Amino acid sequence: MAPAEKKVIISIQQVSKSYQQGKVKVNAVNDLSLDIEEGEFTALCGPSGSGKTTLLNMIGGLDLPTEGVIKLELQELAQLSRMALSHLRRDRIGFVFQAYNLIPVMTAYENAEFVLALQGMPKAQRRERVMSILKQVGLQGLESRRPDEMSGGQQQRVAIARAIVTHPAVVLADEPTANVDSENAEALLDLMEELNQREGITFIFSTHDPRVMKRARRLVYLRDGQLDPAA
Amino acid sequence: MNLSGLAWRNIWRRKRRTGITAISIGFGVFLAVTSSGIGDYSYTNMINASAQMGWGHISIEAPGYYQSPALDKHINQVGAIQQMLQNTPGVESNYVRIMGQGMFASAHKSVGGAFLAIDPNTETGAHNLFLRSLEEGKLFAANSSGVVVGRGMAQKLKLRLGKKLVYTTTDKKGEIVSEIARVTGIFTTGVKEVDSAFVLLPINAVRHTIGYKSDEASLVAVMIEDQRYTTKVLASVRERLDSESGQNNLLTQNREILSWRETQSEIAGLISLDRSSNYISQILIGLLISAGILNTLLMSVLERTREFGVMMAVGMAPHSLFFLVIIESTWLAFLGLAVGILITIPWYFYLNRIGIDMSGAMGDDYTAGGVLIDPVLRLYLYPETIVAILSVVFLLTLLSGLYPAWRAGRIPPVESLKAM
Repeated sequence: MAPAEKKVIISIQQVSKSYQQGKVKVNAVNDLSLDIEEGEFTALCGPSGSGKTTLLNMIGGLDLPTEGVIKLELQELAQLSRMALSHLRRDRIGFVFQAYNLIPVMTAYENAEFVLALQGMPKAQRRERVMSILKQVGLQGLESRRPDEMSGGQQQRVAIARAIVTHPAVVLADEPTANVDSENAEALLDLMEELNQREGITFIFSTHDPRVMKRARRLVYLRDGQLDPAA
Repeated sequence: MNLSGLAWRNIWRRKRRTGITAISIGFGVFLAVTSSGIGDYSYTNMINASAQMGWGHISIEAPGYYQSPALDKHINQVGAIQQMLQNTPGVESNYVRIMGQGMFASAHKSVGGAFLAIDPNTETGAHNLFLRSLEEGKLFAANSSGVVVGRGMAQKLKLRLGKKLVYTTTDKKGEIVSEIARVTGIFTTGVKEVDSAFVLLPINAVRHTIGYKSDEASLVAVMIEDQRYTTKVLASVRERLDSESGQNNLLTQNREILSWRETQSEIAGLISLDRSSNYISQILIGLLISAGILNTLLMSVLERTREFGVMMAVGMAPHSLFFLVIIESTWLAFLGLAVGILITIPWYFYLNRIGIDMSGAMGDDYTAGGVLIDPVLRLYLYPETIVAILSVVFLLTLLSGLYPAWRAGRIPPVESLKAM
């Protein structure tokens, strides 16, 4: 029996991104093409300045390419309005940032609940979903803690909970283990790997952390904004 | 968590800054209440005092009488006019009066001045400043030949109670006429020009002297319940008189209906000038407070740029960020107004009930525009002024939040995320 064909969830075709830095034009991404399939656990690797974060931002609709086309679930991001992009990020994409970026005046529960509230989900349903996600990421009992009352690892777990609570198509994680110790980094990777396998969520990391690279099932090397075929 | 709850928590991130901003908004309320309260109190006092010196808030009189108050100009059927005024909304009371110029002489000296002829049976101190200022003696009887003189005139003419005064004026036809009156009372209003040149006479005696019939007079002075509604009441009075005139031939006569703004134009000008300078200083205070609020909100937005980037990254729409900051400024406005009300209430009640005696700073002259003003600084606010102050401060706070809110929603998420 032939294996089931996986569909391409992200299609990147001849994408370039350049911007002005003072008087200098910087080509952050240069004529890059790449397809990501549903359920992948992929790491974008490369040294600083190789274009990992820029590519991740463009995939997430936070930034738009100067040239080329990026499609997420067949929708061309550059064609979407600001509002449509907002809705796409809210409903189909989860973000995990290097510096956690939780909202400091909200508790762990409220941070995770925030996106569901933006979706307009009823309160009771939100509660059920958030409690279940917080249990999955190992934060049961810490729901009412604010970010400044939690460790780095715990904060990153809240960030993961916030990213997956809407059952997104893809989670984009920018250096997710950069600010946590080894033990917590391994635990976070275990968690993301488990969510990927159990929930089928596509994960794309930007990283130069060997621990992440070791866990990723696909490594995409970038150098000077292009795929690095030599790596 | 809804936007309102999030905004409430956000404003408390920097407790000291929020506290200082709320106090500055509160201080704005305090200043606005003080300056408007002094205005509301003193303007009302001046208007009522001037109305009680003869012309009323509204005056019904012969055409041209106000510009040149001679006794050959008069109105008639004053009884019918009074009857019509009785049921006019807003009219509190009305008085028939004759006002004219004359010479006043005693055995020692003579001086020029003015007289106000009144009906002692209907006039009371509540609506007549001279009666309220009666310092010595009493008011004359209706059919007597008494006179009440100002203290200044009594001193000039060396008059005492019971002494005779001869007044000379022109009659209805312009002929010179004289009559003797006996001093029954002396008043002191505190306005030097008035006390030295004004006398009260009984209207029946004056009518007899100058040849007026019993239903003729210089004017009908109308006192209204609240001077703020002068224009509205004046329109009702005019409408009423006009409609009655159409039905009743007796009232088809020439007459003018004037408000205190016309008969007391000096007071009206003074109030208008003072009110304008008051508005300018309030606008400046408002601008200063707005700059403070703008600074607070802008700082608060700038230091959360990255957070706004994260919020947009997870799907918050730019317009929701705009509303978040607007709601924060709304909370700040409520907080500032609460502080303002708290610090202003004791101050308001102190100045409303007790006041601050400013007589030391004012010297001997407690008058403005020929009207006595209260040397005690007091506050009184009309309900609509309170609503106006609170609304303006609230709106200023909201307006100050517009630019920071607009800015919060406009920064591209990728730029926001780069912010430290």
